[in-house]
Amino acid sequence: ALPTSTAEVIASVNTRRKILATAVSGIIQESGFLNVEKAALGTLVEMMQSLISQIGRESKGYSELAYRTEPIIADIIMALVDLGITMEGLQAYKMRPNRVVITPPAHQVDLKQ
Amino acid sequence: GSGATGHRASGVPLSDFLLQLEDYNPTIPDAVTAYYLNSSGFEAADGRLVRLISLAAQKFISDITNDALQHCKMRGSQQSSSKTKGKDKRYTLTMEDLTPVLAEYGISVKKPHYYI
Repeated sequence: ALPTSTAEVIASVNTRRKILATAVSGIIQESGFLNVEKAALGTLVEMMQSLISQIGRESKGYSELAYRTEPIIADIIMALVDLGITMEGLQAYKMRPNRVVITPPAHQVDLKQ
Repeated sequence: GSGATGHRASGVPLSDFLLQLEDYNPTIPDAVTAYYLNSSGFEAADGRLVRLISLAAQKFISDITNDALQHCKMRGSQQSSSKTKGKDKRYTLTMEDLTPVLAEYGISVKKPHYYI
């Protein structure tokens, strides 16, 4: 049988991918869609993962170029500019009214007596 | 060249912007972003940097989905005159809408023959 829910689609990979899929679904919902094709969600999740890794790699490269072991904000900005992502509008995006926040899983206390 | 720290995020100095991220929760949880960053060698002691990256990545995807929605609406208005004159339209994000938008961003996506 074909998987139906979005959670099932990525469930086989790992938990982080699953959470990333949830986050991407939230972003898709924010922009006004009610449904999403499985392949489209998969594409965007893959892009998101790839983008985060790429930003990390580029920032790391810039910090090492400056003989630093830890990246600072300037390295990240340079990486973003390299990738063609501008900081313009980021402030407005941050303040958007209808943002989805994924609540972290509740900490389960082991009741040992 | 000019220092990157001189960049401004829509009027707010970057240092202030970073301070505002102190108590802010992006849609992507910090732990997830940090994991993928760590897997590519990036390790920041400052959690705000991770949040900045989450936010930038979110905005990138969000811009794409917004463009896809415009595509979807335009496509819908062209062919909707006949039957689908529903009062509230339920939009579905399909590869058909996503592919041309991604092409605009310089990303070529081919529809996979099978996707599980």
